[in-house]
Amino acid sequence: MFLGRVVGEVWATKKVQDLAGLRLLVVEALDERREPGAPKVTPVVAADPLGAALGDHVVVAFGKAARVAQLGLDGDYAFEAAIVGIVDDFDVPNAPASWRLTDVRELAAARAKEPR
Amino acid sequence: MLVGTVVGNLWATKKDPSLVGLRFLVVRPFTTDGKESAETLVAVDVLGAGIGERVLVVFGRAARHAIGRSHDIGFQTAIAAIIDTMELEEGRIVGPTSEHDRPAKRSKGTS
Repeated sequence: MFLGRVVGEVWATKKVQDLAGLRLLVVEALDERREPGAPKVTPVVAADPLGAALGDHVVVAFGKAARVAQLGLDGDYAFEAAIVGIVDDFDVPNAPASWRLTDVRELAAARAKEPR
Repeated sequence: MLVGTVVGNLWATKKDPSLVGLRFLVVRPFTTDGKESAETLVAVDVLGAGIGERVLVVFGRAARHAIGRSHDIGFQTAIAAIIDTMELEEGRIVGPTSEHDRPAKRSKGTS
């Protein structure tokens, strides 16, 4: 599980059937960085049963936890990541200031100033 | 799950018997930092994705289910969808099947 931020959404027509009707959001981890100032490198795609919005901080779970969160049960489904919580607030002493930001431009500026 | 671009095909003659007849693609994960990802991964494709297409890659049980050959199979990565459109922050809409996964420049322009 990780703490991330919703940065986008994807749509697909041609897909494994049991992905039909799933809302798929692109989520970037708050803490992963390839170099100073760079955002998270490889975003995760997660099913969203909660209705998270672009910019929201979310908790993402994988595997069985994700299927249970999305469907209320586990089984054979072609997804393994889901948003299990929309974060209201967090208290992480010494977290970079960029963790709090939701505006893309402010975020880019803040990250550029952060030490590695 | 992650989004990647299909960058190649892969063939293997000598392989686990459970993999006979499967199609393998080399996929380069999407990044949001404007640079090409340094890593690639191999995924089984049952949907017929082609080079340059953007795909949704799933792992583990989800992948074995997507492959559709029961769970006793020697593979754990598969393509579950071919992405038409991807919308990212600042209202950028990427698709259908754009050539390059490097649109996420966090520009300072107005939007």
